[in-house]
Formats: sequence, structure tokens, C-alpha cells
Amino acid sequence: MNGRRVSRRTMVVGGGVAAALGAAALGLTLPRLFGRRYAPTPYDDLLAQLVDRDAAARVGAVVRAVEPNFNTKAAARELRQRFEQRNLAEVIDADIREGRVAEVSGWVLPESLAQLCALAAG
Amino acid sequence: MSAFIDARTIPSGTVLQPDLAIIGGGPAGISLALALAHTPLKIMLFESGGMDFDVKTQSLYAGKVSGISYLPLDASRMRYLGGSSNHWGGWCRPLDPIDFERRAWVPYSGWPFGIKEVEPYFKRAQALVEAGPWSYDASTNPMNAVAQPLALGDGGVYTSWFQFSKTRDSVLPTHFGDRYAEDLKRIANLKLFLHANATSLRLSDNAANLDHFDVATLNGRKFSVKAKTTVLALGAVENARLMLASRDIAAAGVGNANDLVGRFFADHPIPRDTATLVSFAGDIAGYYFNAYNLNGALLRPAFAPRDDFKRSNAVLGSLTTVESPIELDELGKAAVVSTALALGVDASNAKAFSIGCGLELQPDPERRLTLTGDHDALGMPRLKLSNRVSDSDFALYRLTMKELGRQLLAARSGMIRLNYKTRSEWVSALDWGDHHLGTTRMHADPKQGVVDANSRVHGMSNLYIAGSGVFPTYSASNPTMNLVALTLRLADHLKRGMR
Repeated sequence: MNGRRVSRRTMVVGGGVAAALGAAALGLTLPRLFGRRYAPTPYDDLLAQLVDRDAAARVGAVVRAVEPNFNTKAAARELRQRFEQRNLAEVIDADIREGRVAEVSGWVLPESLAQLCALAAG
Repeated sequence: MSAFIDARTIPSGTVLQPDLAIIGGGPAGISLALALAHTPLKIMLFESGGMDFDVKTQSLYAGKVSGISYLPLDASRMRYLGGSSNHWGGWCRPLDPIDFERRAWVPYSGWPFGIKEVEPYFKRAQALVEAGPWSYDASTNPMNAVAQPLALGDGGVYTSWFQFSKTRDSVLPTHFGDRYAEDLKRIANLKLFLHANATSLRLSDNAANLDHFDVATLNGRKFSVKAKTTVLALGAVENARLMLASRDIAAAGVGNANDLVGRFFADHPIPRDTATLVSFAGDIAGYYFNAYNLNGALLRPAFAPRDDFKRSNAVLGSLTTVESPIELDELGKAAVVSTALALGVDASNAKAFSIGCGLELQPDPERRLTLTGDHDALGMPRLKLSNRVSDSDFALYRLTMKELGRQLLAARSGMIRLNYKTRSEWVSALDWGDHHLGTTRMHADPKQGVVDANSRVHGMSNLYIAGSGVFPTYSASNPTMNLVALTLRLADHLKRGMR
């Protein structure tokens, strides 16, 4: 193969950016996407999977409100196991395939995404 | 060609003696008369109303409702020729095979026969309700060619298809009175009486036969009908009322030795806006909202649980339709953006839609009709409906919707919000299909059913019941086409009895 080969990771990131550009129409802006800085957290390795952390935090705030005792450490531990050698798309694919869905204010979401959102809500 | 007879002109004291009396001129009664046309049977059909709506006649239906909210009993049905087809929406879909089975997770479930007993009558019933060629789920591939449906991943929910009754072109639906009046007048062996109200079933002394029944008119005429065989086709509510009110020989009422008449009343709850469906791609095919005419069949899709999903998850039948576009709130937008990004899907044109549904209820003997101390203008005791829905009926539907949400995610086509969780949320959104079902249920065992597998009242030789009141379980499918099919089956049984 020549130097034009596109790695799997590049594909994933590229896909995420394309989706983010599309998502702009639903109210999220590019400056926020590229310009926002967040305080460090113990879960930044996981939160790096999120393309739009603000939107995720909005969803996660509902998770935290419904589950005031949400165990961030346990959730992070579980997510790290799931993310071992897999990216977000692969993890939530597995969630969907295996029926691991959560309800967040009625929205049916892949369980790992709901947990990530809850971590994003800090 | 003979005109209909105005029962208000029949002298009091007259005794009419047909071979077969049909009480009730709705879809069941009219279908039965049409099916028995040109047989040797001398048939008389007795309809309470005339050809049009009349307030005094309609008010004979008035009654009480207690428990969970329900439309007044004089508003949820129609009392003139054509019966409740006069306010029918025209939705048609056949019962599913599993509807006939004894389902371990559904108390009191199980018909005395399987779908194969009814299948031979479906296409004739389809013709009577004028729903076009029999297509339903066989139209999946051609409709996919018209426009792609929302993609669903593998799972327990699939896209099923309703058809619609139509009188001509897109005029909906078939009102049996208007539509078949001239056909009925052409039947030489039929006399049809309008304004004739059956007020009491009179049994023989041993209660094993119907000896005769009384008829009264609102202008004060009273006469009787002594038929060899009688079929009650008054609708599930009024059949029970007439049987419970006829107490001169059987103190508990006709066919009610086991206290079953009036019990197991059911309808299809159709709660509004049960869910929000988001299509990531935006617009969805127009046939989700407006029925599409495919070679004469008006088709509209619905999400339905597969039979194997019902079994493995112990859920009931449901039919979920996409209703109208709606706006998402901020949380909804955030949920859509987060999910679409995670899936790597472009949601820039995403649109949201409200979801409606029709639900199957679990049979419940305490959801029932009883007589009250009030009487109507003809002296008939009025009814009270004690209505209720269990929490599990709602919870089971949520399982199906959650599975639909999972399958939309799997296909990367969209997502779902379940709008109701608490009982009060469900109840406040509740409407009903006005599909009266189950008050004279069918079962081989007289202790568990009012009629046997041939729709004959247990313990009686010459009294039958037609209509959806005999359904022991209710499916989520709309009943009209199905009850017509069952009525055609009854017609064949009665024909065999003539031999």
C-alpha cells in the first residue's frame, strides 16, 4: 500500500467531524466545537470520545438528576473496560446489539453513551 | 325488491315467526343477512334505528361509566342501520395467528380454534368492508419500492400494514347501512324492520331454548318474534345488556349461569403522543401519514411486535403509527446530536414526529358491564361500565417501544423518546378506539365462556351471538373486518344446520 492509506482511527475522527458539521444545524456551533476548553477531569480519556461535549453534558445532567448517587468511578471503570481496544462507535454498536439501552428522560440511548454523558456532566 | 318495514306500523300483539331472527343491523347483522341471502331460510332482521341518526333512539344507549375515563356509552357507538360502522374510521388489519393461541403470559387467553378456522373468510370479509385487494403485510416489498420506509435493525418489531375501507376511490369508509340498503332490499328471503327494539329474551321453561323475544317501538307498539333460531348482533355492549336484562326464567340473565355475561369488556386504548420518533435523515415517506393507494389497496404502515418477540418478552399486541411532525425541546436536540455523533450519522436534517398507537389489553373479568336501577324510554335497565386498565398493560407496551428504539439505533436511522412512564401520564393521554369487545366471550368450556366455538350460547339450542363481543382476547388489530369474517363463519354454520 502507498502513503495514501487511511488508518481506522483517521476514519473514525473524520467521520465524527463530518457528523459534527451536520449536527451544527441542530443548534450546536463550530466555534464551540473547536474553541471550547474544559477543566481537567479524571475521565478525560473517556470524554475525548465525545465530539460535542456540551450536548452530552446536557443529556448527562438528566442522568445525574435522576440518579443522584450515580457512581462516576464505577461507570468510568466499566466504560474503560468496554473501550479497551475499541472506539465509541464500536462500543455503542455492541450496546445496541446486546440490548444494553438506557432511558434518559424517555430517550432510548445506548447505555455506554448515557454513562459517558453522565461523566461529561461532571 | 321490497322496502324496509317500519316496525312502528306493526300492530301490538303481533307474533312474527321467521326461521332466523337477526337482532341488530350493524356490520355483523348485515353481513349475516347478506351471507344467508337466497337460502331457504325465512329471515327477519330487527334494527333499533332508522336510516339516519335520531336523538331519541340514540339516547336508548345512555349509561354510566366508572373508573378510568371512557367516552359516554351513547357516544361510543351508533344506533341506526349500519350501527357503529356509521362512525367507523375504516382501519383494517387481520388478527395474527398468535391472537388465537393460549398465551401463558396472558390470563384467560386462547380461542377454541386457530386462525385457520377464520382465514377462509378473510377475503370475503375484506370485500364486504371494501378494503380493496388483500395486501396487508404482503405489500411490504411493493411499498418499499414506492418509498423507503424507516430502516429498522434486526429485532422484535417490524413494519406491518393497515388497509382502509373505502366506499369508492378514496371516500372512507364503508357505512354498512347506506352501502348495503339496496342489496338488502333485493333479498327475497329477508324482511328488515326499522325502529324495532328487542327488549327481552323469553326462554322456554327449561331455559334451554329461546322461545321468543319482545320488540318495542318508541311510539308504543309491542310485538313478539318467535324464531327457530336467533342471532344477537347488537354489538358487544348491547348484547350483554339484553341478556342481563332478560331475567324472567334465568334469574342471572340469559346465558349467564356462570356470571360471565358483561365481564371481560375491552376496547383498544389509543393514547396520544406516546412517543417521539426522530428520523436522522429528516423527512420520511408520505405514506406514514396518509394512506397510499397501491393498486386499489389504501395502505399505511404501523410498527408491530413480532410473534416471537411477544413470546420471549411476554408482551401484548400493539400497532404504532407515525402521526405528525413536532419540535424537539433543548434536551431532545442534545440527545439527538449526542447520539447521532456517537453513531457517526449526519443528523443535520433530523426531524421529529409524534407517535400514536392502539394497544391490546389483557382480559380482565372486572372490567365489566352491569345493569343499573335506571331505565330507558322502553323500560330497559341501563348499563354501567366499570372500566380499568392495569399498569402492566402500559408497561408491556413500553417494552415494545424500547425495542423499536433499539432497532432504529441499530439501523442508524433514528431514535425514540418514550413520553409516558407514570400511570397518571398514560391515563391523561388516553383515548379509545370505540372497539367494544369481549362481553360474551367464546370458550369451549361453559365456565369460561358465554358462547361455544360456533358462537352458540352455552346451554341453549337456538341462540347465537355475532360480533366482536365473542372475542376472548382482543389483538391490537381493529375488529370490524375480523368480526365480519367470524360472522361469515357463523353463516356457514347456520347453513349447515339447515340441511
